[in-house]
Amino acid sequence: MGSRPVQSRSPVSGAPMGALAAAWFLAVVAGFLALWVYKLRPGPEAATAPRSWPVQSSIRTSGGRATLVLFAHPRCACTRATISELARLMARFHDRLDARVLFAASPGEEAELARTDLWSSAARIPGVTVAPDPSGVEARRFGAETSGAAVLYDATGALAFQGGITSARGHEGDSFGQERIAAVLTGGTPDRASAPVFGCGLNDEGAVRIAQVNDR
Amino acid sequence: MNASVKPIDTITAAADAVVSRAEARFDAHRQDILRSTDRMFAALLVGQWVFAIFLALTVSPYAWQGKVKTVHVHVWAAILLGGAITCVPVALAMLRPGALLTRHVIAAAQMFWSALLIHLTGGRIETHFHVFGSLAFLAFYRDWPVLLTGTVVIAGEHFMRGILWPESVYGIPNPEWWRFLEHAAWVVFIVVFLVLSCRRSYRDMRVMAERGAELEALSENQWRNSSVVDRAAAESAARRG
Repeated sequence: MGSRPVQSRSPVSGAPMGALAAAWFLAVVAGFLALWVYKLRPGPEAATAPRSWPVQSSIRTSGGRATLVLFAHPRCACTRATISELARLMARFHDRLDARVLFAASPGEEAELARTDLWSSAARIPGVTVAPDPSGVEARRFGAETSGAAVLYDATGALAFQGGITSARGHEGDSFGQERIAAVLTGGTPDRASAPVFGCGLNDEGAVRIAQVNDR
Repeated sequence: MNASVKPIDTITAAADAVVSRAEARFDAHRQDILRSTDRMFAALLVGQWVFAIFLALTVSPYAWQGKVKTVHVHVWAAILLGGAITCVPVALAMLRPGALLTRHVIAAAQMFWSALLIHLTGGRIETHFHVFGSLAFLAFYRDWPVLLTGTVVIAGEHFMRGILWPESVYGIPNPEWWRFLEHAAWVVFIVVFLVLSCRRSYRDMRVMAERGAELEALSENQWRNSSVVDRAAAESAARRG
């Protein structure tokens, strides 16, 4: 059926239409490439987290189990995928992992956090405790700059992993980060102890840096 | 001699007339299906565009850097990339409905929409079913090469994404080069049945066209062979209802 040419009553001839269709196809492919490039651009390289659990931290570890701390911006749309992936991790390793999700909060903003959908999504995950991180004190302590950054400390309090648990900005699915966390939790040896973090900036400093670059 | 040849010529001419009448009926039916499917897809493409913008504005309106917010790239992608995907096929559906190029561009656009919606929903597994729904809808054309275009576009998108960003497609960071074939195989699975359905539908359309043409010819023949008295009686009966 498809091999039969169809006569069109349009005055527009076939060759320009074919060229238009080819140009359209290439333009759409270029648009997708631009979207992929954006989604694959990780947040800025963060400082290394302390090698052992920092005693000054207000977060408590759970004895005998690994502890994962995830830092999140309360309104970052990309972090929704991170929370989904955290739920998958917890479903798989609930017997050997406790998780804390710390939401960045300005002073006095803590009450607003509980109304965000990310907060309630994270709070619904069994084994996850959510808390505000006023002025990003804990995020700085653990070297987190990007929403979705996670640190994993093993049962002895040693740093086992630092990085993100999604494969791209706001994209669900398996990732290097999850694979490496799973390796740690199952007694294996991950190929690396870090992974890129995809998400919004936790503090304004990144925006200031961008503005300064633009001014120059 | 002439007396024996003449009836054969008459029969051949009558058969040719039936064949050309069947062809005309078939082409008219086919054009009707192609044009109406083009129109349906034009509406669907515009609807998907509106939905994508709504989705982006609802789910990911802003990107944040601390307290500083900017419009999220998903919003621009929904408006600009979604608009680019939509405008050309919709224009073709209006300017060249029923044309071969129109439905192949529409098939590619529909698969691009699957890919964009997967992005906008954050790679949710559920959105991947849009691919299968779209292929089923493309089968409305009853034109199996359109399904091949859709399959090639979505397989090509998977192949490219698998090279640039393997985790987003295969769920593992370092897949083998042929892994895209495994994913494409599930698309091929449904396409095989849809192609068979299109071909059967095509044959049924031909049979319908031939039977319609035969009935028309038979009816005309009976009319010609009927007497003047019979025709008058038939017309009178028709007037009385």
